[in-house]
Amino acid sequence: MTILNESGIPDVLPPLHAVNGLAERLPGVLVVVAGTQAEAHLVQSLPAVPSPNLPPSPRNPRVIFAVLDPYDPPQQGLLASRIVETAAGLRGTELVLVVAGRTAESLGVDAAFEARLVARKLDLPAEVVNPDAPYEVPGTLSTDLEDRVLAALVDLCPKRRTSDLVDTASPAKRGGLFGSLLGGGRDASDSSQFRPVVVLGGAFSPEAVRELTAELSRAGVEVAGAVPGPGIGDLPPLGEGTVVAVMDPNLTTAVTVAEKRGATVVRTLMPVGVDGTARFVQDVAEEAGSRTSEVVRARSAWEDLGALRNRIRGKRIFFAGDTGLEIPLARFLADAGAVVLEVGAPRLDRRFLAAELQALGPDVDVVVSPDYRGQMKRIDEARPDLVISSPGLHLPLVARGHLCRSPRDFLRAGPYGYEGARRILELLAHTLERAETLDSVNL
Amino acid sequence: MKLLRGVYEGPESHGILRVAVSIRGLHTVLRALPGETYFPTLYGIRERTGEMVPVTLSPLRARPEDSMAPGNLTRDLSGVVRRHPKTETVILARSEAALLAGETIPLTSLPEIEGTGRAPKLVTFSWEGLGIRETEAAELVLEDLIRAHLQDRPERSPYPTVNLFGPPIFGPGAAAEYAEAERLLDLIGVEVNARVPLRADVGDLARLPRAWANVLLYREVGESATLYLQDELGMPRVTTPMIGAAGTGAALRAVGELCQLDPKSVQRAIWAELARTAKLPWYARLEPPETFRGRRAAIFGDFTYPLGLGYALAREVGLEVASCGTYLTHLERDFLFHAHTFTEGAFVEDDPEEVAARIEAAEPDLIVGTQLEEGVADSLGVPFLPLCPPVAGRPFVERPLIGYAGSSVLADALDGALRGTRTEAAGEAGMQWTDGALQEVAEVPPFMRGRARRLAEERARQQGSGEVTREIFLESRS
Repeated sequence: MTILNESGIPDVLPPLHAVNGLAERLPGVLVVVAGTQAEAHLVQSLPAVPSPNLPPSPRNPRVIFAVLDPYDPPQQGLLASRIVETAAGLRGTELVLVVAGRTAESLGVDAAFEARLVARKLDLPAEVVNPDAPYEVPGTLSTDLEDRVLAALVDLCPKRRTSDLVDTASPAKRGGLFGSLLGGGRDASDSSQFRPVVVLGGAFSPEAVRELTAELSRAGVEVAGAVPGPGIGDLPPLGEGTVVAVMDPNLTTAVTVAEKRGATVVRTLMPVGVDGTARFVQDVAEEAGSRTSEVVRARSAWEDLGALRNRIRGKRIFFAGDTGLEIPLARFLADAGAVVLEVGAPRLDRRFLAAELQALGPDVDVVVSPDYRGQMKRIDEARPDLVISSPGLHLPLVARGHLCRSPRDFLRAGPYGYEGARRILELLAHTLERAETLDSVNL
Repeated sequence: MKLLRGVYEGPESHGILRVAVSIRGLHTVLRALPGETYFPTLYGIRERTGEMVPVTLSPLRARPEDSMAPGNLTRDLSGVVRRHPKTETVILARSEAALLAGETIPLTSLPEIEGTGRAPKLVTFSWEGLGIRETEAAELVLEDLIRAHLQDRPERSPYPTVNLFGPPIFGPGAAAEYAEAERLLDLIGVEVNARVPLRADVGDLARLPRAWANVLLYREVGESATLYLQDELGMPRVTTPMIGAAGTGAALRAVGELCQLDPKSVQRAIWAELARTAKLPWYARLEPPETFRGRRAAIFGDFTYPLGLGYALAREVGLEVASCGTYLTHLERDFLFHAHTFTEGAFVEDDPEEVAARIEAAEPDLIVGTQLEEGVADSLGVPFLPLCPPVAGRPFVERPLIGYAGSSVLADALDGALRGTRTEAAGEAGMQWTDGALQEVAEVPPFMRGRARRLAEERARQQGSGEVTREIFLESRS
């Protein structure tokens, strides 16, 4: 594997596009986008799931725009009081997210202060999300806002106190004492070493998160919940003694926040593809205190995928890079027999993705911060069988006769877990099949 | 500061991009935050063509000197020249974030293209500012681009020609609008010299003075450019919106006059079209008068479309235009002046919720509006025609709304919307609301109010209650 930094302008979807999707995904959230006309226009014109064939998503009453007048910046507290008025008109608000980036900051809006004020007046949690804050590693991913919102949610999870830990530990000890007499103590003493697991990520594939949770429970792991969960009130406790299992390769901020709270974040492969899921389940289980081997399960999963693998074997695939999920996908597809020509990574946090990069086959090239013109040229030269495109290149590539899928299509299908591995291969196989059918039409 | 549920217009940089991308041979450098890479994607979603947009992002970064990655504006501008050697003009647009950062423009001219000795023109805009919005910026950009490319005055064409000033990209059915105007002008014997800005090229901008007159299809964008050409070169202009059969006829007659055509032959061409393609007058005569009597329409949009449609609906069809509004606050005076000729309820407003409240107060039977008014129509349960930009849908078959063909499109739309929607609401009226329930309704955002009301009344009927109480209302909402 080689990693090349192209220092280009990668083609990614603006992170702000996720506002609509997140507002739909998290019921009870009021999202206030503070900024100028530009931010409001951007959020409104890009649909939650951009695809050339989808109309913009219907307006969500839980997304509002605080359009600041650059010549008359608001007084301190005005934003907060307007948010409070709006929240009063919406029933069932559980959380206020203030999305305030660089423009709000340069117009002198102290978003953190306003959020605190909102929280106090409404007696609800209110968090600030800054879409423009730079990452440690330079670059932008289209999932950056999602990452930051998840970070805010992690921050809202109830904390596990040290006393709780003691509490949970002590009855088990007693159980051990009586248990040895009664003969039924083995289970109880075992569970004392278990640490609860919180699944982090998969915001847009809740179904897949449920499957993965089931997979973990099967391996004897106690899953306390997921972030984001079904609702704001259902956030699992997260703190010292919690094990965090990360599902997306781009949640660096959320992971940092979880680590700051004392949780143990499992550094392993993403649960994408068969081997990825097996390693993920095994490592998370180990960290949680349960020993399990996924070898048998992985082998049977690979066997089940045999027919599908035959359909994509030898197919040449190019990843343009947009969501950050490309690296685990490329790893799985290379293992499944496809030829991965190149993986674009608008931002590559090598430390965070160490396990993934190690597992990536020797023949795969990663291009960091790719330049879209260079990518276009390389795609035209290599003529891959399939391009996992980026949003701005999608149509131009289709027009040049390349077969394209958006990485978002995979996210929507739910790429996680053993079943997710099947869904990924099915999606690819169907795409290739349909292209063949269309090619055979005599126009 | 305003708390809005949506915006009708984008920022100034979006207006610049819309005009700049419409014209060929230009390349735009957008100075913006690294997260503002939306334009190629939006172009793909809206236009659904496979073209690459000639827009390059120059991201605002903390310390661009530290690396060779894009971020240094001077370097990015010369990079564009190097990478796109065929570009004739490079435009610099700055997003609101870039304007707030207070950067100065580092260059006044661009380096030469290797091997040719020719340097592309650099066009920057001195008027760029934070208070300007999409449409106004588009108008100013077009004028500046024409100023920048106008050279010595070329000979006037030997036969009558006109320039068409129409909508830029993302306008609904933009290409079809130009095509319809061109078809009609051809019928009266006038050739089109240049179409501006959609798919014009830089050469077209220089050739503009060849024409005898300028025809404004979309005044929002062409206004100051045509005024400039009028003042500077004495080119007359036709501003009547070509919407509806009457408007189209008036515009064609005006063109005929400016081009010194025989009025009788122009009139013959108009009659022939009225007999063949223009179905709006035919529809108005065919439909029984009861279809229109006492029915109220509310219209909201930009400038040309609401005015043209308002006139056509009020005069040619005979609907009562209860309210007619625009979101273009910078055209307030002009708009009110024209709108008062056919409606009492003219207004200017750019907050979608206020617009929703205005429309709701007008109690319309038909709403013609932008994509943001769809929810209002839905909540009031009245038919909705999304005919004013911005609109969401991108049909593969574009239909014009201007000209005679456009009048038929309008007739079809009205026919579909007004047929058989007369009797609803009548039988369901009479449900009483308690004060508490009414107070709760007032808390609901206007564009959702009608729907909330309907749901609550349904709920009350289910429970067999004769009036809607606060409890029933809250239940219906949860």
